[in-house]
Amino acid sequence: MGEVFWLILTVACVVWYSTITFYVAIKGVGDIKNILKSLKSNIDENKTD
Amino acid sequence: MTGFTIIDGSIVGLYILGTMIAGIMVRKYVGKVDHFLLAGREMNVYLGIASLAATEFGVVTCMYTAQNGYELGFSGATPGIIMALSMLIVGYTGFCIKPLRNSGVITIPELFQKKFGTKIRWAAGVVIVLGGLLNMGVFLRTGGEFLVMVTGLNIHYLEITMTILLIAVAIYTILGGMLSVLVTDFLQFVVMSLGLISVTVLILINVGWSNLTATVTSHYGAGGFNPFVHPKMGWPYVLFNVFLNFSVVLTWQTIISRLLAAKDSKTGSKIYKGTSFFFVARFLIPGIWGIAALTVLGTDITGGSSLYAMPQLLNKILPVGLMGVLVAAMLAADMSTDSSYMLTWGSVIYNDILAPFRKTKWSEKKGLFWNRTIVAIIGVFLLFYGLWYPLKGDLWTYLGVTGTIYQASISTLLISACYWKKANSWGAAGAIIVGAAFPITFLVLEQLPMTASFAKSIGPYYSGIAAYIFSGLAMIIGSLMKPKKED
Repeated sequence: MGEVFWLILTVACVVWYSTITFYVAIKGVGDIKNILKSLKSNIDENKTD
Repeated sequence: MTGFTIIDGSIVGLYILGTMIAGIMVRKYVGKVDHFLLAGREMNVYLGIASLAATEFGVVTCMYTAQNGYELGFSGATPGIIMALSMLIVGYTGFCIKPLRNSGVITIPELFQKKFGTKIRWAAGVVIVLGGLLNMGVFLRTGGEFLVMVTGLNIHYLEITMTILLIAVAIYTILGGMLSVLVTDFLQFVVMSLGLISVTVLILINVGWSNLTATVTSHYGAGGFNPFVHPKMGWPYVLFNVFLNFSVVLTWQTIISRLLAAKDSKTGSKIYKGTSFFFVARFLIPGIWGIAALTVLGTDITGGSSLYAMPQLLNKILPVGLMGVLVAAMLAADMSTDSSYMLTWGSVIYNDILAPFRKTKWSEKKGLFWNRTIVAIIGVFLLFYGLWYPLKGDLWTYLGVTGTIYQASISTLLISACYWKKANSWGAAGAIIVGAAFPITFLVLEQLPMTASFAKSIGPYYSGIAAYIFSGLAMIIGSLMKPKKED
């Protein structure tokens, strides 16, 4: 019983971790672009004020 | 002995160069203290998940979770399951994190000022920094020992290697603050994950699942699969970890800084939910490496400590190329952890401990200067404390006990500040004193030769559980004792 639980959890970890790494690697690039864009406009606004 | 070749060295060198360039390039976007400490509160979900996962997995994490696997079997991954559940519950309910993020504060103690006053804010800042610095103090040497054992590097180069690594991390953290941390964390998350997944698959194929379970059964019996029947664990271990991990989710500075850097509380909740299962992987994956070390190497470990079993296994089984990927992954893990720890604990020093010295508002330029100086000072502390503190007992317990110095009280204060109207400064002061007294006393007793055996007989779990329970009681009793007219 205990062995089956840890086997399922191990498989779930490897599958989930592989999937989330791929997904976050793609989507995270967009987040970085957005955060840099937002901070740049914030700095530009302060310069014009 | 060494399996580290020029190909592996090139992979590592390219990775470090890429990280440094990325970290330094974003410094031009940092113009204010708010940008430096919280990246302008513009962080979105996926970057938040990558950053939180990368920060919460360092070489030190890999070492203690592998040690758990080696010494406790699969049951050693129990804290990961508890932490994942805690993250999920808090993420779904918004318990404490919603009011905290909505308050717009930079740090948790800043929230306490509104409820408990200036002195409690300052005291909370002091215990947070004390617990955090003691906790991260062991990172550098442990990380260095891992690299020495995996790569076969001469032990005499440990200090200089880790010093160079820390300086590299400090440079981009000082220049770019949270923004550099987030961008480098993202790169580090990808590299770290590739390394962790590929090494785990290699171990599962080479050692085999049935051999792993057979090893656990022969060494630990049913206790290797069930923490409640493990002779070294039992209910005190599980209960201590329930308190510890729930309070980590609510108050651990590196986690909270991601919540406060998020665009809003909804984004913060999504980051919590999205990262929750990572904490199972964080304990189980290196735990499997530790069990594999027990399977392949047995109990005859060079250096004597179970902490060294997993790196010695990796040195033995990793092929050229994958060794480079692993070392790059572990450096990534270590760099992301060090940078984030220096920045986020530095933010408490600046925002809360130095608050009494900022009677008038400081200019952004002065604020940035002091934040950068604090990060540099923490880096120097890490270098010296990390090289001379003699670690006793297992690493996870040391980290749990030092973390409890503030987590017991700060989680009590946070819950009270958010949800208990009668909570006041007397209760808060009592909770801070009691919450810190138990773990500090235990650490001192453990270090003194005269009392070491007494400390061992009590064990870290009972002292940890007591810290949480009595801290809560101190809050209730202290708050009820304070005369109403003084509210």
